[in-house]
Amino acid sequence: MGFNFSYFVTSFKQALLYVPVTIKIMLVTFVVSFIIGTIIGAVRFYKIPFFSKFFSIFVTIYLGLPVTVALVLYNLIFLTCYNDFANFFHINKQISDINPIFVAYIALIAGYSCNLSETVRGNLRSIDKTQFEAGYSIGLTKLQTFRNIIFPQMIPNMIPGLLNNLIGILKGTNLVSTIGITEVMVAALYPCQETYSYLEGYLAAAALYWIIGIVIENIGHFVIKFSSKNNKEVWNYD
Amino acid sequence: MIELKNVKKKFGNNEVLHDVSLSVNDGEVVVLLGPSGSGKTTFLRCINFLERADAGILKFDEEEIDLKRAKKKQILDIRRNSAFVFQNYGLFNNKTALQNIMEGLVVVQKRSKEEARKIALDSLEWVGLKDKADYYPSQLSGGQQQRVGIARAVALNPKFILFDEPTSALDPELVGETLSVIKKVAKKGITMIIVTHEMSFAQEVADRVIFMDGGVVVEEGAPDEVFYKPKEERTKKFLARILQKDMYYI
Amino acid sequence: MGDYFSFDRFLVRIGQITPYVLVNFKMVFWAMLIGTICAIAVAILRLKKIPVIEQILIVFISYMRGTPLLVQMCVAYYGIPIVFGNLIYNAFGINLNRLDAIVFVIIAFILNEAAFLGEIFRGAILSVPTVQTEAGLSIGMTRLQILFRIVLPQAINVAIPQYGVDLIGVFHNTALAFTLGVLDMMSRARTLGVSTGHTLEGFVVVAIIYIIISLILKALFYLLEKKFQYGRR
Repeated sequence: MGFNFSYFVTSFKQALLYVPVTIKIMLVTFVVSFIIGTIIGAVRFYKIPFFSKFFSIFVTIYLGLPVTVALVLYNLIFLTCYNDFANFFHINKQISDINPIFVAYIALIAGYSCNLSETVRGNLRSIDKTQFEAGYSIGLTKLQTFRNIIFPQMIPNMIPGLLNNLIGILKGTNLVSTIGITEVMVAALYPCQETYSYLEGYLAAAALYWIIGIVIENIGHFVIKFSSKNNKEVWNYD
Repeated sequence: MIELKNVKKKFGNNEVLHDVSLSVNDGEVVVLLGPSGSGKTTFLRCINFLERADAGILKFDEEEIDLKRAKKKQILDIRRNSAFVFQNYGLFNNKTALQNIMEGLVVVQKRSKEEARKIALDSLEWVGLKDKADYYPSQLSGGQQQRVGIARAVALNPKFILFDEPTSALDPELVGETLSVIKKVAKKGITMIIVTHEMSFAQEVADRVIFMDGGVVVEEGAPDEVFYKPKEERTKKFLARILQKDMYYI
Repeated sequence: MGDYFSFDRFLVRIGQITPYVLVNFKMVFWAMLIGTICAIAVAILRLKKIPVIEQILIVFISYMRGTPLLVQMCVAYYGIPIVFGNLIYNAFGINLNRLDAIVFVIIAFILNEAAFLGEIFRGAILSVPTVQTEAGLSIGMTRLQILFRIVLPQAINVAIPQYGVDLIGVFHNTALAFTLGVLDMMSRARTLGVSTGHTLEGFVVVAIIYIIISLILKALFYLLEKKFQYGRR
């Protein structure tokens, strides 16, 4: 057994077809998690009664749960409970007709929302206090100050953190293979089931993930460069 | 006596030092003045090899050192005979005030810990911070940090001390305490080269004032001469501007 | 509603699964021990900026950061026997194909940590302000003295929290090892589920063990972090 380049090419082509699936899971997870993460981060930052305490306990505990374990667990709950659930609500769909992708979304979004909420909170804390006070001093409400003044200032500082999260989520989409959803890696392995030579499949998947990651990182660096252009001029002064 | 001859330094295409020479007698206090970007700080850093000059000779203790081609041993020798006080204090963040002073005594001068501790405590007392001996830099005010920095320099008993804008990072109300400690150092008779923007302090402490601009020495002389009877047009302009802004010009 | 979850079965599962956490610990232990040593080498080599080696390390780190760990594990599992199989067999008489999957999982972890921790260490060393080094130079210390007495103690202060996060991440990632047939908590929970027909309790136990141990690790690193604060709050 050795490395067979034509197997690799076959796997690579097969996996290429599933790049849109991986990217879609990544983007949906990222956008939804960012929105939820921002809300959780803000609630904790502003110490809103009850919710702040609740989320602080929830996030601390939930960050202790590996996404893989969450995925397997939620999938299991879905598989064992679906029939009773469907009967109870009179849903006439067989379990095999339901795409388990929504289970994957729940697990991924729950996990990465917690991660992103920490990123958001960290950035909120790094914003100068006078920015808040300046907003209040001209009569803006807390929400208006957050939306019009604080949040826009956070974005440029947050881009590196968001980029890390995005790459993390890209790699996280690979985990959905453990509950039988076809993404880049699973697709790359299809041809291997005939050849019994798996290395080529995994290398093809690795190559694809790597390429997608590099593209995202380059886009990110471009955005960082673009957004810090104005700041740089300040530093060059003197 | 320290003698510097024809010191030159470029950063990329930017010529910061264009042939600067200076000699300082033993026990003399020399103040370097000039607008920002005039090369004073770079000049000071070149003396201690924190910056490698492109050309120039340093004569110290009858030894001539080529600033560009100095060997490791020569550099270490200069550094062990001198001390540097940094603009942003340069205290070791992982060490207490006492440990900061002891570090050089123990590691460089190979003194015993007890001896080093005694010297360090004495010099802390000398700058009025004996009670802060076990504080970390992050727990001290800027003025206190800089006084520890000066105590660290003095404790090593150097032949000369270089001060790089020692008060320009300080809040105005903390400048006074630091300057009075530097005056105390001057009274000890240690050779000092000071870069500062504090005009009245310079006038009081300096034996000689050097005015630099654009990488060259424009004018030098006794403080009263340079301040009240400047000969060069550039010096006059600089003094007029700086005195207008009072003493807290940076 | 059916009989999904029974508290009695849950209690039984705790006893059946908990011992297997040691398999996860074993992976974390070797990954962190050898991974940290490799990472120090990676960080120092990158800071020295030696041509060719630097470029190789940049590509290595980019690969490790850009590809999912599960894929890396599988590449190690299938790839190492193919590339090094004959060499190792001839030299040591070990047949890599017969080796336990956990060995390859640990190798994948080590390579991954060499890259991730290497970057953490490098960043920590770079985060120490240059004036700290200059202050050391100005009082006549040598570069080596400054590195060990001034720069590294301050870098540790920066690296500890990130090291803790990374270690907990490795512990979480051991949950992937069961896909290659490593007999850890996940795999035990699955086997018990298949043999009894009740899977849920087992995975709930796994989830709880992961959460509790993560919280304990987090607390430990918090205490460690406080020890290295040098007066900062």
